[in-house]
Amino acid sequence: MAVTAVPEAPAERRTRRADRPPKGSRQGRNQLWVWLFLTPTVVLYGVYTVYPIIASYWYSFVEWNGFDADKTWVGLANYKAVLADPLFWNSFKITVLFMVAVVPLKVLLTLLLALVLNSPKLPLRTLFRTAFFLPVVTTTAIVGVVMQFVFDPASGPVNVVLRELGLVADGINFLGDPKTALWTVVGVYIWKWFGVTLIYWLAALQTVPDEVYEAAAIDGAGPWKLLHHITLPLLKPFAVIITLLTLESTLKVFDLMLTMTNGGPFYATEVVEIYIYRWAFAATVPQLGFASAAAVVFGLFVGLVGLLQLAGIRAVRKTRSDR
Amino acid sequence: MISRRGFLGASAGAALGALTASACSTAPSGGQAAGAKTLRCWDHFQPRADLHKKLFADFQKSSGVAVEYTVYNPNQQGQALQLAFGSKQLPDVFTTAGVQLPHARLRKEGWLAPIEIEKEALSAMPADVFLNGFTHFEDKLYSLPLVNFRQYSTLTWYNVELATKAGLDPERDLATWDGFRQAARKIEAAGGDGISGWIAPLQFAPRLGEHVTELSMAAGGVGAVDPRTGEYGHARDPFVHAIEFLVSLKKDGLLFPASTSLDARTSRARWSTGVAGLFFDGPWNIGVVNDQFKSFLDKVGVAPIPTSEAGREAILYASPKAGDYCVAATSQHQDQAAELVKLFTSEEVMLAETEQMDGMPVNLDLVDKAKVHPTYKTAAGIFRRQVRLRPAAEVRNPGASDVVAEMKQIEPNLGGIVQGVLSGQLKDVRKALKEYDAKLTAERDRAVKAVAAKGVEVTADDWAFANWTPGQDYGRDKYKTS
Repeated sequence: MAVTAVPEAPAERRTRRADRPPKGSRQGRNQLWVWLFLTPTVVLYGVYTVYPIIASYWYSFVEWNGFDADKTWVGLANYKAVLADPLFWNSFKITVLFMVAVVPLKVLLTLLLALVLNSPKLPLRTLFRTAFFLPVVTTTAIVGVVMQFVFDPASGPVNVVLRELGLVADGINFLGDPKTALWTVVGVYIWKWFGVTLIYWLAALQTVPDEVYEAAAIDGAGPWKLLHHITLPLLKPFAVIITLLTLESTLKVFDLMLTMTNGGPFYATEVVEIYIYRWAFAATVPQLGFASAAAVVFGLFVGLVGLLQLAGIRAVRKTRSDR
Repeated sequence: MISRRGFLGASAGAALGALTASACSTAPSGGQAAGAKTLRCWDHFQPRADLHKKLFADFQKSSGVAVEYTVYNPNQQGQALQLAFGSKQLPDVFTTAGVQLPHARLRKEGWLAPIEIEKEALSAMPADVFLNGFTHFEDKLYSLPLVNFRQYSTLTWYNVELATKAGLDPERDLATWDGFRQAARKIEAAGGDGISGWIAPLQFAPRLGEHVTELSMAAGGVGAVDPRTGEYGHARDPFVHAIEFLVSLKKDGLLFPASTSLDARTSRARWSTGVAGLFFDGPWNIGVVNDQFKSFLDKVGVAPIPTSEAGREAILYASPKAGDYCVAATSQHQDQAAELVKLFTSEEVMLAETEQMDGMPVNLDLVDKAKVHPTYKTAAGIFRRQVRLRPAAEVRNPGASDVVAEMKQIEPNLGGIVQGVLSGQLKDVRKALKEYDAKLTAERDRAVKAVAAKGVEVTADDWAFANWTPGQDYGRDKYKTS
């Protein structure tokens, strides 16, 4: 049996190793550094994320208006009141409706545009990508306020154009009519956050190897066949993740909805976040316990969506490892 | 030479140190501003802000105490105070705009300190603005009133230019609901494209509720609670008719289309651009126009709230008012804070305040002496003639304050119901108001029980005043025989 001799380390290296402190002590010091660098994150995350979550659970079991010094323990009474409130379920329904309306539209439209913007033949494609991403970096509250002017039924540009074209005689009250208010916000939300989903798709499209397209093209595949048999199947795992990310992001619409409609007219656009805010801060006598109970119930719903996301990610990993 | 590890470690340590130091230095203790020579003051009197800044600058010169002054939008001040109280950062002096809890409750919960001002200093103020249960508790002053109870927020403000163009005689044509509707129609016709008859803050539900309550009293109603029985009366004819009046304005296409997205401030701003002829608002409207839309000042006219029918003199009942400026119980400089509040008790300052044309001054006679826009003087005359003081359960029995504080908000409230009816989502207004009354009654009964269980003697009968006479002020002497 052949024995391979292990070459001896050069003399210099041997000396350095001998100078190092024992392994246990080195690991201890490394651990110390790790924790030292983690400390700011742990502290800030604890103070601004973990503590408010725990506190909201505690508040949900007390009755407190935020003005009194004392809080009264009421057990599950706040939860019972929240679940019995038709306006909570109304806001829940609107939240889900908003999600169901936004997700398919946004995911499909951004995919279509990403396919166009991914084409190397398209001139100025970087400019277009930037243009579509621009609303993402604009402050949402400002977008909301500006959109109030844009959709103003008296002098807003949208209504001016509609009137000039002879499509309507009087201005449409986009944000003041319960039949149009939610859909107007849906449209603005999709426009505002279009760029994020677009970037996801563009990133996903970069993962499709050029050789596969080249091979298919040599075999005579046209653009439609390339899309149908190569691009779309390879994007499937990404579609799951992108859909779930979009789905989760639609649950965070508070700032846009508050500035555009304030939840009105008459609760027609009141999503759960505004419902919680209304009871916690905008009520004549705030009910922080009640609002916290609504927040916990909503949080559990968001948690469910998160679980769905987790399952989606696992499914994607499995698909990739099977390939 | 410093190693990479050493550098990173030092940086992390410095960052942590800075973080800790900044966390320590930004946390005021016990409602204190930076430095003992500074008082913090929050109020919501936008039209008076410049005057207050000048008064506070003079105060600093004479006392050496600086005042950090913040003027809030009333909608946001309640939230700011709520957070300030929770984090023990209440300002030394503040108004309680946006906080709907009675002062009695705030005092109990440790918000308010007695304001130590000698009685002589208060002699320039009318005695009837001070009332135990509102400005005073146990005969100690807890809040200094700056604004009179004798005012309302549904004066009819009109654009003189548009009214003239439409050939209106405002005194005659804006006196009744029918007249108001006709006038709005004529303004639209004469004004041409883009001009509406009426503009309203439909997004601001509490103000809508005030408008409807006041219009209901201009239709012979007695307000949300009938003082004779203590029962809620939103479902009675005057309220229903008042809402129907507003709906008719919308149905006739007289409402400025963007009103659904406007609150009080934005609708006032739009009205002052000349897009609508008529606008309901309080006396402060002219002060804000003077402050922010000066070019519109000469086009402003005012008339009383319209009544449901010709020949009816509107009588509106206003509750006693708690004072405006309070001193925080957590303030470490309550003496100096009281000195600051005392500034507002002199006739000279009250006159200067009146000239800012905000809410009506506690002494209405000052309006005659003050250099103010003619509409402000007209408004003062209207209020003298039309507004009466209504009885308050809190004066008769301080325990009623606990009940008010215990009561939870009912949703949709009156303003919300009006929004729902105007947007067409609520079809049966009387049914909605009946449900609202039933929920309010049940909630008050629950609150009475909850408060009584804590040993406070209070019943729903405390809201009933058998000796109340419609059309008359319910003065302090009346409580003795109630």
